[in-house]
Amino acid sequence: GGAMSFLKRFPPPAEGVRHQQPDTEAVLAGRTLGTGTLYIAESRLSWLENSGVGFSLDYPTISLHAVSRDLNAYPWEHLYVMVNAKFKEEETKEAPMAEGEEEDSDDDVEPIAEFRFVPSDKSALEAMFSAMCECQALHPDPDDEDSDDDYEGEEYDVEAHELEQGDIPTFYTYEEGLSHLTAEGQATLERLEGMLAQSVSSQYNMAGVRTEDSIREFEDGMEVDVAPVVAGQFEDAEVDH
Amino acid sequence: MEVSHSVKERTIAENSLVILLQGLHGHVTTVDLRDESTATGRVTNVDAFMNVRLAGVTFTDRQGTVSRLDELFVTGRNVRYVHIPDEVDIRATIERQLQAIHRVRYFGGRDKGRKEFPRTKHK
Repeated sequence: GGAMSFLKRFPPPAEGVRHQQPDTEAVLAGRTLGTGTLYIAESRLSWLENSGVGFSLDYPTISLHAVSRDLNAYPWEHLYVMVNAKFKEEETKEAPMAEGEEEDSDDDVEPIAEFRFVPSDKSALEAMFSAMCECQALHPDPDDEDSDDDYEGEEYDVEAHELEQGDIPTFYTYEEGLSHLTAEGQATLERLEGMLAQSVSSQYNMAGVRTEDSIREFEDGMEVDVAPVVAGQFEDAEVDH
Repeated sequence: MEVSHSVKERTIAENSLVILLQGLHGHVTTVDLRDESTATGRVTNVDAFMNVRLAGVTFTDRQGTVSRLDELFVTGRNVRYVHIPDEVDIRATIERQLQAIHRVRYFGGRDKGRKEFPRTKHK
């Protein structure tokens, strides 16, 4: 058959390779691409056939990955990778499509491509899976409105900054720590907790997690609705005065 | 669930309901994905970006085909819903996770527990 048009020749990744698995077959939408080496690197996922051609996948395009040992679903144990993209499996003679158009799918349905990486060494699947999890976590979704830019500037050591002592090398458990604090230290701790609570409650009251205790403790005079809503609170229109 | 060693992730978790999902560690949960497929399995990890890792998964793809997956990692972007199991006390779970974060923040963990990012004010 024709060569898979998206396969290219490129050198294997040299940096940040968390796992590499030789003797691994790559399958796209049920069609084999050959046998080669899978490179799970921090920058991207790459597979190179033994002949030297292959492809790479960017982590932001990967929706999910999984270890499949269900031989009823697929006859070999493998690493399943679902990608949010279309891959042309063969050279086609179609006229170029207008941008954004899909051939025969709804506008609503996103393109997906299903890859399976079948290592000859099945026992490697756990390591392959974990390496992919680690690399995937390095590429959080930039469109996510929650991963905001509130955290600017250099990180600084909160307590050292307050006590002007530089890095304190010892770590205590909660109980030990309290008993080791001087009166000044305890006062500082209380102040820090208060500051933190204030900044949390004033900026993020949308999170909505306010227990009754926290309302009492972190009362800071700001105009925040602290009354817990009681179901049916306003149902009874008649109020006794 | 063990609290993240990343300062930024702790701060994100503390300020969003991801903290609830992180408290589902060990529970069998159904995750509805953006493409209409669903995955039911035991939660083994949820990070601040809502990437969800499940074990012992029954996966139903968007065509309705059911298969088993030993382990599944879904990126946060592709999670539509996470079903909270009935047995989970939501408020207690959130409080427990917040306490875990505060313990790490003030009294250290395996690494720098007390560094934080200065926050921009009056956003």
